[in-house]
Formats: sequence, C-alpha cells, structure tokens
Amino acid sequence: MAGTLTPTARPEPAAGSRQPARTALYVAGVLVRRLLLLAGLLAAVFAAVELLPGDAADATSERGESAADLAQRRRLLGLDRPVAERFWDWMTGLPTGDLGTSARGEQVADLLARPFPNTLLLGGLALLLTLAASVALGCWAAARPGGPLDRAVSASATGILALPEFVVAVALVLVFAQWTGWLPAVTLTDSDGSPASWRMLVLPVLALAIPQIGWNTRIVRAALADEARAPHIDTAVLDGLPRRRILTHHLLPGALPTIAAGVATSTGMLLGGAVVVETIFNYPGIGSVLAGAVADRDSPVIAGVVAVTGAVITAVLLLADLVRTWASGGRT
Amino acid sequence: MNVNRRQVLWAGGAIGASALLAACGSGDETSAKSPAGKGEKPRRGGTLRVGALGRASAITRDPHGTQANESDYLIISLVHDTLTVPGAKPNTVPRLAASWQASDDLKTWRFTLAKGATFHDGTPVTAEDVVWSLKRLRNTPSGASRLPGIKAENIKAEGTDTVVLVSDYANAELPQLTRLTTFVLKKDTKDSDLGKAPGTGPFKLDWFRSGNARLVRNADWYGGDVHLDAIEVKIFESPQAMANALLAGQIDVASNVGAVAARTAEKRGDVQVVRRPNDMAMPIVMRTADGPFADVKVREALRLAVDREAMVKQVLSGYGTVANDILGTGDPAYAKDVPQRTRDLARAKQLLKEAGFDTSKTYQLLTTEDIAGLAESATLFASQVREAGVKVEVVRQESATFWDKTWLKGDLYTTYWGTNDSVVFFASKTMVSDSGQNEAGWKNKEFDAAYRKAMATKDAAERAKVLHELQQIEHDASGYLLWGMADGIDLAGAAVRNLPTLPGYGRVQLERAWLAR
Repeated sequence: MAGTLTPTARPEPAAGSRQPARTALYVAGVLVRRLLLLAGLLAAVFAAVELLPGDAADATSERGESAADLAQRRRLLGLDRPVAERFWDWMTGLPTGDLGTSARGEQVADLLARPFPNTLLLGGLALLLTLAASVALGCWAAARPGGPLDRAVSASATGILALPEFVVAVALVLVFAQWTGWLPAVTLTDSDGSPASWRMLVLPVLALAIPQIGWNTRIVRAALADEARAPHIDTAVLDGLPRRRILTHHLLPGALPTIAAGVATSTGMLLGGAVVVETIFNYPGIGSVLAGAVADRDSPVIAGVVAVTGAVITAVLLLADLVRTWASGGRT
Repeated sequence: MNVNRRQVLWAGGAIGASALLAACGSGDETSAKSPAGKGEKPRRGGTLRVGALGRASAITRDPHGTQANESDYLIISLVHDTLTVPGAKPNTVPRLAASWQASDDLKTWRFTLAKGATFHDGTPVTAEDVVWSLKRLRNTPSGASRLPGIKAENIKAEGTDTVVLVSDYANAELPQLTRLTTFVLKKDTKDSDLGKAPGTGPFKLDWFRSGNARLVRNADWYGGDVHLDAIEVKIFESPQAMANALLAGQIDVASNVGAVAARTAEKRGDVQVVRRPNDMAMPIVMRTADGPFADVKVREALRLAVDREAMVKQVLSGYGTVANDILGTGDPAYAKDVPQRTRDLARAKQLLKEAGFDTSKTYQLLTTEDIAGLAESATLFASQVREAGVKVEVVRQESATFWDKTWLKGDLYTTYWGTNDSVVFFASKTMVSDSGQNEAGWKNKEFDAAYRKAMATKDAAERAKVLHELQQIEHDASGYLLWGMADGIDLAGAAVRNLPTLPGYGRVQLERAWLAR
C-alpha cells in the first residue's frame, strides 16, 4: 500500500545536505514549477467562474433591476471586459499583495485578513494532531505486527478514514455540545475576529483531524512494515538492540519520507475539509468566504482564497520534499 | 424596496427539509410562551446576543449597498435610522421622519424630521443630511428600484427639518418606499468612512469585525428609551449552526432560523419560538398572456384544485397560514372579507371542460431550489391537481437558468417574495399591465384602472374601498395561485422579552427588546 502512496515529486538522488548550492537550486526549481502550477490553477478558476451560469452583476443585483441598471453594475465591476484581461489585471496586482475587489466593493485582502489566519490555525492544529496521533498509533500497531492491537488499530483506521468530515462533525456536536454540554457547539468571535475561547477550537479540530488520522495511521503502519523488511533491521534485531531503539533509530528514519509525503498530502485534504467543518461549527475561516463567493460568481474572491491556500499547500509540500531529500540523501 | 433574491435564500431556510417531517407533523400550534412580555415592566440592562444569517464573502458596510447578509442589514438598521419603518397597523410608521404630508395631486411629499434627532457624535440631523443620503441611495445601481418614480434632482431640503420628495406620478403610498433603505448618514460621508460613520439609531457601533459587531445603547436616542445595554450581532452561515448555538445557550436570539429549528426547539421548555406571520409568499404563477393557462377558467380550476391546508401543513410544517390568491396578506388594507377559496374538484373539472382544456397533455411546472420548500410545494401541487385531471410534471432548474430563462416568461412556475406586507407593492410591481416584473404577463384594464384610481385617491377611506375592488379583481382573474404564507421564525432564550413579531424586515426592530434576568 505504501508504494502506491508515494507522491509524484521524486527527490533528486544527488541532492543532499552536503551540497547546499545544489539543494538551493533544487528548491528554487521546485518552487518555480509549483508557482507556475498555481498560476495555471488561478487561470482555471477565472475560466471556470466564466462558465457558470450568471455573473457577479446578476448575483449581487436586486430582483427587478432593469437591464440598464444591470449593465451599469456590470461596467462598475469591470465584467464587460474579456476574462483574460480581468485575469491579467488581477494577476499583476498579486505580487504587490493586491487581491482585487469583491463584487460588493470590499477589498479581497480585507475579506481574508481575519478568516485566513483562523483557517490556518484550525488547519495547523489539525495537522499537528494528525501527525502526532497517526505516528503514535502507527508505531503502536507496528510494534507487534499481526497482533490483536495491530488489527484493531488498522481496522478502526480504515473505518475512520471512510467517514466524511461532516458526519464526524455532526456526531461531535451531538455528543459533546448537545448531550453533555462539555464544549461549545459553535465558534463565536471576539472583537479582534479570532475565536473567543480555545474551547471553541476543540471540536472543529477533532472533526478535521479524525478522518486524516485514520488515513495517515495506515500510511505510517505500512511504511514501518516496508522498512521492517530491510536487511539492516534484521541486523539490528540480531544485534539484540532494544525494540524501542530499533523503532526510533532505524525504522522511523527510513519510513520518514513516506510519512512526510502522506502528511503533506493531508494538508490539502484538511484545507478542503475546513470548508465543510467551518460551516457546521460557524468557524470564522475562509470556508464560508469561499462558499459565498462561488454563489456570487465573485472571481477575485474565489481566486484570492485559492491563491492563499495554494501558497500554503505549496510551502508544506516543499517542506515535505526537503524532509524526504534530507532523509533519503542522508542515508544513501 | 425590492427583495434581493439571495437575501431570502435563508428566509424560507429550513422550510423544505421540514417537508420531510411533515407527514408526522402534529399540526397543532404549540409555540410556547408569548415573547411579548406584556404586563411585565421592562428591565434595563444586559447584553442581547443575536445570531443572524450572513456569508463572509458578502459582507458590506454600505447602508445604501445591496445587503445580501441579514446580519449586515441588522447592524446597519440598529445604527442608522430610515425615514419610516414597517409597522403592523398602519404598515408605515414614523422613525427619523416624525410626520409627512402630501400635496393634493399626491406627487409632492413633505417629510418633517423628528425633533431632537442627533447623530451619535452629537450633531443634529438636518434636512441637508437626509437629502444627501437619499440622493446617494438614488444614485446607486439599485436606486431606481428603491425609490421608484423619484429622480435624484427631485429630492430637496426645505429649511432645516423638512425634506421634499417629488414623484413623477401620483403615489398615495409613497411613504412606504422610505421604510427599508433610506438610511441617513451625515452629509458628505466618505465611502471609506462608511464603516464607522455615526448614525442616528438606537444603538451606537462599539466594534465591527468580519461580520460580527457589538453595539451599545444610544442614551440620547430621540425615539424613546432603549432598555438593553448592548446588542452583539453574530454572523452565521447556516441556520443549523445558529440553532445549535441557541440551544447550547451561546446566543439569546436566532433570527429567521426557520421551521426545522423551530420543530426541534418546540420540545424544549427553555426556548421561545417566535412566529412572525405573513413573512414569505411562494405563489405559483400561471401565464395569462398566452399559452395553456390564458383562459381565466383554467386558472380558476387550478386554484380550486389545490388543497391549501395540506400545502401549509406539509410544505411549511404548519408554520404558516392559508392564503386566498391575493398578495400582500400582511397589509391592514388586505381584503379579509373576500370569501376564502377552498378545494372543489368537481367545479374544477367542470371549468376545465368548459374551457376545453387538453387534459391528455402533461404540463411542466418549473421551479428552483433557491429557497428550501419551493420545489416541494411544486411537487405537492402537481399531485393535488392530478386529482382534477391535470397532469403536471415538476422540472427543477438551476437558479441562474431559472431567473434568466423562466422567470417572467414561463407558462407555469413557482416564484417567491420575502414579504412585502403591502397590497400596493405587489400590484405596482407585478400586476399592473406595464409593471417591470409582471410575472404572469397579466393585462387587465379594470385592474389597471383600480390601481391608478387608488394611487390618486387622497382620502384614506375612499382609497381603501378602491383597493378592495382591486383585490377582488386580483382574486378572480390574476395569474397568481397563492396557497399560503410562510411564517418567519426566530428562536429566543427564556429571558428575552418584547421581540418584534412583524414579518420580513420588521424583525430587525430590537430597540424595545429587554432581558428578564
């Protein structure tokens, strides 16, 4: 299973910590490719919004506005210009941090200023929890392969990864907010726009992390199993090293590239799942910005959300690549 | 004001999902305790936490913009005042304008401002401020539909406390136009300062952040005592999350949360269900200009074939009332004495036969899922009229396609209006021959004449009589089949008192609310 999960970006074998210049070059190369990919994605966003029925002028108009009023609104929003031109305008503003203006006349950067850090906080915590829990569970299961514990963890991980976030979220609200009253049902914000209490973060983080923990536990477990078949592990076992030392010094480092890739892939899933989870918990993140913007056919807002999340995913993937390069480079 | 169709997306909110539960609906109206708080002496103090629907992407601070978010509209209307506001009877009551008077030809209207009205920074409100604000409103892209018939240059100040509006035509109901969007700002407020511009309303803005706001009492409000120390408005994307927050005690009021939440809450003793009747109309439109429903007998037959009680019970979960094919049910001028049309399948079949209606054909009823409940109403209607021998197939269209291709053009389709509590509003917007949104393509000379006569009649009693005639014609011949009206539904904690019970935008009038704790 681990083999099929190995991500596409291959580490260049020669790159290693001993050749900083080549590493820098490699990073730059990957970065440029990823940024080009992001730019392509943003172009696709503009094109896709164009293909949807209706436009932002329609969506933000009031019923019964005359054709002339609509035309005026369309002109004000610049929607009478070709999509390529609008995309170019928007892209050229991007390097200066200008994300354009929404169909309702608000600065997109302002619209995202509070929600985006909130989503990063939510996603970041969920990612940390995913990493910690899946490594712990994976190691635990791998410690006695084929034992009852291993089977229990593997089976429940499979069950959990099949659960959509909204099922987990609704169940959590029901149990921890409605029945027991231990935790708040929704997230409310205070005057600075961030969650009013850390307790409000617990349920959304769990709802996001639980399915990903299921997924990553399986990856960790499989990567450790693969690694256990390597000859140097046999040697270590024959040398009589303690089980824990073998795990931390021999198994885990070897499995690290696969684990890093798995967790990095989860970043995208976490940010995607955040859209759903934020709605259920009324979490003040970019999920609700995105959902509304799609309904409004508001290209600059949609593209703004894609740009910032794309940048984060790019950074995390790059980090994972570096970890893989470092781990495999150090060992070969 | 016209209703932005996205604005009412939530209004029917959960109506539809509740249709699923309808079969096991009890039907009895057990909406707990009255939230009125009558007979109790209002207590001063406390912070009311209000949840309102809104989307982060659509947040706007512009009082004259298109407010798609109920949360934004709520905040704006607590901070800024309009000239008039919706009332129960009459349906237009004074606010920043203390009184108004029309010229004999009903074209020129003089509004006198409330004495002692000041902005939150202490400066008095002048006619100049009002004129500037109204002109700003008029010059927005939606301005023409918000102040119809009133050109920007025909808005003028007279002295310091009188504003004169001149309409292009006689309009006996002109003050109604000033109820919902005529928010007053200080003259020459810059667009960049809109978010913190002082208003004249019962609450002052303490802070605003990402759609949430805290508002504090304006002790100097000219409109009377405000009991609450503060109101906190919390933006919610989904009615479900809002209902959860209320049930968990995180907010005190869930504004316009919908029928599904109400059904859950009815079981709880510590939650009040506030029903605001006549909130939403979801009529079926039958094209009168041409097509299979052009014969008035066919339309009459369909109106007789529908089972209104069942529609209200199943589509609205009982949170609504049966209607009589006349729009504007919340209007004090609504003709209650026109006999209620009830189901009569025999008569319906006979009328279809007389009209030579082709019952071998299947007719399409076009609908959307814009507001939950709408498509369900179409499906139930189709099964009901089948008993009269009319075969109807329900076709669900994507929203944008529907508004582009079907609305105003289709032979048979569903529409909806987040309420306007006025007979004249619907007559002028959707039924007079040359109206811009004549949904059924209806042209009726007698109706037009009655409308024009009503608009040009100054005497209130005389006008009421003409309006009654107008409604009788509408009942008999228009292209609308209005089977019922959905209630607006708010949930409130046990301590909340004196919440508004008006339909539609009347729900934002929280200045008299108080907390019994």
